[in-house]
Amino acid sequence: MEDWKIGSQTSVLPFFQLGGPVKAYFRRKLLIYILTFFVAVTIDWMIPRFMPGNPVDVLMARAGMFAEGAELMHDYYTNVFGLDLPVWRQYLNFWNALLHGDLGTSVYVFPLPVTKVIMRAVPFDIFLLLPSILLSWLAGNWFGAFAARSKRLDNTILPLGYILTATPYMWLAMLLAWALGIVLKIFPMSGGYSYAMTPTFSWAFIGSLLEHWFLPFVSLFLVGFGGWAIGMRNMIIYELESDYSHYLEALGAPRRLVRRYAFNNAILPQLTGLALQLGVIVAGALVTEVVFSYPGIGYLILQAINTRDYFLLQGCFLFIILMVLLANFIIDIAYVLVDPRTRTGMQGEAI
Amino acid sequence: MMNLKKNEFLYFALRNNKLKIGLAVLFFFILLTFIGPLLTEYAPMDYIGPASAAPSSEFWFGTTTFGQDVFTQFVHGLKASFLVGIVGGGLGTLLAILVGFIAGYRGGMVDEILNMLTNIVLVIPTLAVLLIIVAYLEVRGLFIESVFIGCTAWPWAARAIRAQTFSLRTRDFVDLARLSGMRSLKVIFTEIAPNMMSYLLLVFILQFGGAILVAATLDFIGLGPTNAISLGLMMNNAVLWGALLLGIWWWFIPPGLAITAIVGALYITDVGLDEVFNPKLREM
Amino acid sequence: MNKRLPLWITLIMILSLILAGCAGPTPTPQTVVQTVEVPKEVTVVETKEVVVTQEVLVTPEPGAEVYERSETLYTGGTQWGPPTGFNPWNLGNYAMGTFGLCYEPLFIYDPLTDEFTPWLAESGAWTSDNVYQVKLRQGVTWSTGEPFTAADVKYTYDAAQEAPVSISPVWDFLGSVEQLDDTTVNFVFDEPLYQRWSYYLYSAPVVSKSRWETKSVEEITSGLNEDPECTGPYVAETLDQTKVVWLKRDGWWATEALGLDPKPKRIVDIVNSGNNNVALGMVLQGQFDLNNNFLPGISKLVEGGYGVQTYYLGSPYHLSANTAWLLLNLTKKPMDDPAFRRAVAFAIDTEQIVNVVYGGMVLPANPTGLLPTWEKYIDQAVVDEVGFSYDPEEAKQILAGAGYKDADGDGFVEAPDGSKIELKINNPAGWTDWMEANRVIVSGLQAVGISAQTNFPDFPEYLSQRNEGTFDMMINNDAQIANTPFRYYLWMAQNPIEDIATIQDGNYGRYDNPEAFDLVDQLDMVPTDDYEGMMAILSQLQRIFLTDMPLIPLWYNGMWSQTNNTYWTNWPSSADGAPHWTPVSWRGYWNMTAIRMLTDLEPAQ
Repeated sequence: MEDWKIGSQTSVLPFFQLGGPVKAYFRRKLLIYILTFFVAVTIDWMIPRFMPGNPVDVLMARAGMFAEGAELMHDYYTNVFGLDLPVWRQYLNFWNALLHGDLGTSVYVFPLPVTKVIMRAVPFDIFLLLPSILLSWLAGNWFGAFAARSKRLDNTILPLGYILTATPYMWLAMLLAWALGIVLKIFPMSGGYSYAMTPTFSWAFIGSLLEHWFLPFVSLFLVGFGGWAIGMRNMIIYELESDYSHYLEALGAPRRLVRRYAFNNAILPQLTGLALQLGVIVAGALVTEVVFSYPGIGYLILQAINTRDYFLLQGCFLFIILMVLLANFIIDIAYVLVDPRTRTGMQGEAI
Repeated sequence: MMNLKKNEFLYFALRNNKLKIGLAVLFFFILLTFIGPLLTEYAPMDYIGPASAAPSSEFWFGTTTFGQDVFTQFVHGLKASFLVGIVGGGLGTLLAILVGFIAGYRGGMVDEILNMLTNIVLVIPTLAVLLIIVAYLEVRGLFIESVFIGCTAWPWAARAIRAQTFSLRTRDFVDLARLSGMRSLKVIFTEIAPNMMSYLLLVFILQFGGAILVAATLDFIGLGPTNAISLGLMMNNAVLWGALLLGIWWWFIPPGLAITAIVGALYITDVGLDEVFNPKLREM
Repeated sequence: MNKRLPLWITLIMILSLILAGCAGPTPTPQTVVQTVEVPKEVTVVETKEVVVTQEVLVTPEPGAEVYERSETLYTGGTQWGPPTGFNPWNLGNYAMGTFGLCYEPLFIYDPLTDEFTPWLAESGAWTSDNVYQVKLRQGVTWSTGEPFTAADVKYTYDAAQEAPVSISPVWDFLGSVEQLDDTTVNFVFDEPLYQRWSYYLYSAPVVSKSRWETKSVEEITSGLNEDPECTGPYVAETLDQTKVVWLKRDGWWATEALGLDPKPKRIVDIVNSGNNNVALGMVLQGQFDLNNNFLPGISKLVEGGYGVQTYYLGSPYHLSANTAWLLLNLTKKPMDDPAFRRAVAFAIDTEQIVNVVYGGMVLPANPTGLLPTWEKYIDQAVVDEVGFSYDPEEAKQILAGAGYKDADGDGFVEAPDGSKIELKINNPAGWTDWMEANRVIVSGLQAVGISAQTNFPDFPEYLSQRNEGTFDMMINNDAQIANTPFRYYLWMAQNPIEDIATIQDGNYGRYDNPEAFDLVDQLDMVPTDDYEGMMAILSQLQRIFLTDMPLIPLWYNGMWSQTNNTYWTNWPSSADGAPHWTPVSWRGYWNMTAIRMLTDLEPAQ
């Protein structure tokens, strides 16, 4: 994903034929995005280096068989990772390499390059996160809108929404793994695909992927679904009780029409909410991946921390930062498209 | 006038089922937190009973693989959760109020900078950063964990408060105060804050619940406090010692259930309170 | 409805854009060629997207390669991260089996009988005081078809002189390696360190000269070596993030020479998930045939009718693999005081660790710390005289006798000079069995009036505290089972102390006793078959270590091994008539007798 640039986005805009102020708006946004990116990546570079412990120790401890060879290996590894250079030099080298698409060598999976390690995990994340985020958002909003001000639904099913959104990700994951994986033995409880297969492009393999994907997906989906349903339900009630709704009703507008207006207004804050919640969802995905040993970025991050893999950690963070920024940017665009007020005034704040 | 308003709140509060249910559940768990330790004669980490015994009259929630009493761990874990909620949620709310008020009231450059700060905290995978910072600490206690949770939990709330402040700032009474030469901080705290009290309370309740969830997540990954017991740590231990597969369900069901119940009750209370404060939302 | 349309389109765009970047699992080349059909409706969207969908919507093949269960051996418990290639010198990361299944040693060593069995070598002997001559087997071929010769052995050692690899330190005492003919190699030593050398005989893999001599130093030390040449019974078939797959090859030398034939067609070793639950679940469901993770609750498994078994039928269930000690930092007060250290030793309730924490899965350690396989080297008279056992009263007396008193009445003793004692005992966070054991140690110390606390830094920090000597006390088990107790004492009495942070070669407690160090050096010069000569030095060392107590042996960690009879039978076991081999796939164990476990396996009916 590292070739994500604004260039690929501009092709989207003419499609909707937006005008001049939009460009200025996006130019300003873009500047903010770049600044945010720079600062975030710098922080991301710094943090692992302030942690006690270092990757060479970990590599040595893992290798520790012929102890007498240790000194040689110590020097060798220190040199390989460039840890013998002054810190400022390491920082410059980092940006220099980053701009060339090089994220360094992983410690956790020494000596593979970090980009390769991450690219192996990314498909699993896309496969897991994209559907669970989008579907829970869509289904949650639809359901919330449906339930709002409908006495029966509001009192029976919405409590379920509260319970779902209050459930710790890993606990739901554990319950699902226990009930469906261990007690009923319907779904496998670990891994991204069957250990008895080599990744090939075949139906059996895709079937195995889906089978292993199901439980993590369901646990992420359910927690998200609860949250969005509650949010939407509350928003709709706000809208239905607002002056314009009462006014419309007083004018004799059909209830359906009023509700549609309410929905259209309520969807905007929900979109903002999506942008704000991305970090939390990524964190939730992390523990879910841990419970199910699902080979995504979240799982990698934990391993990278445990091996002080500066380079892999940076790479994973970079990836998340890019994805969150990208998602925010897309939500920005969606915001402009959905909300006419932002389109004319360009005052909207999506991120 | 003020009195009447208070009574009105009380009246609607007493009639609001969501609020009643939410508060009842919360009250139950708070009570358990204080009374629980008195009901058990054991310390949470002591080996006192048979290994992995199912719930019985002697060990209400059964025992762990080592023969520790799950009920004892549970009630001590509750205390930890509430502590994290209050400290982490409280700090998160305070920071949000600070950033939100200043950004919303001052606007302009200050707003831009604070906005950028908010964006950065939003964009950085906070849990991952928490993992790192927590791993950095030599001794990890509950309090420090709470502080870090508070430090990363504020952005969404800051943004919401900023928006609210933004709209209040243009109201007549605020203009009046400003024109009369009041200092900004004073305007914020005497004119704006009181008008948002109910809103801030709602924010705090959400932060409270959120902090409990984040703490549980951290503990579960094994980065929780090392010298205390918590609900997340119980789940962590249960998983590490194979409770799922060995069928020791009494080890991991209670802590998760308690977190869900507490956080769920907080959310329901939140909506109930919202309805009480906001006449338009009240059930008709 | 109109208003929502753009939103929907945007969402679909998000989906397709992200799919564009990472189009799921990469299709294999031939399948891409196979189908070029692009669904019609997609072409409506702009061209850019079509390119993407082309890749995504390729029709998958009907069948996938799934390994035939009855011919496959599933193992696990060795690899803690995705395997990266088959370089036997990339010690921590090479795929399981690289050394053992593919590359082989000159000898294999059986710790249970204390015997060397010639492997790639046919025989080996000291022909003079400083020349060790190895005769190689004839008829051994590499999987590349080339014959294995003495040139390969010479090259392996010569390369270690150029590139920093695990066996490079052999050149500290090795003078030269001479190839006499195709099957004879002479190792000529500057200084004959018999004990040290005996370890290399079974711990050093031999690589092919023709394959490796073209590699750069960097490639030798840390290259991937993706397509390894093997003398062993298996060749690498594939590896991915979660596993490595070995495929049996025809023409392994031992089939003809020794009548050994491993039955599994494939060996699939699965990467640890960092979560024991997964391994436990796979053992219970029969997905693992051999698992070498530490799995709690083993007695439940063995007795629970899951078809799971361990080496011993009852407690301790497993063989012992290494000694867990409490290391004391001798550069800090009050750990610099032998009396204090001795009091600590008497205060620890090892039985509780063994029985409660481990549920009887481990054995309490002998006070010398020497593993059960080294039992014949224990001088029982010395142990009886200066050994220790759990006795809190004794601990209190030792403390009182050495001047440790509770002066300020807080319930904990202060040092003789009046300074407060507050100690932390380290072990890595997440190592749950050690964490529990640590709690037992701490409560034992507190019970005799020593103020101590558990401390669980994460693993890398645990390492850096260890290497930099900033810890107070820590649990550690670095010295592994080996052919001679010399390795054990070498670990404990390491010189020079000032370089421990980079050498990381044991003695993390910074024990500095020239007398002990000198004895270890003397031991190194004693031939391994001179039992009396070894014992003369070993009993002196045992006395020194038991009186000085620089570290406190606690229990023996097990050679964790859970085997399942569903698909493969005749696993190693203590039972009569069963094979007695080391039942683990860990690095450094195939070259003990784990390879023989493989050749004794029988498919289940």
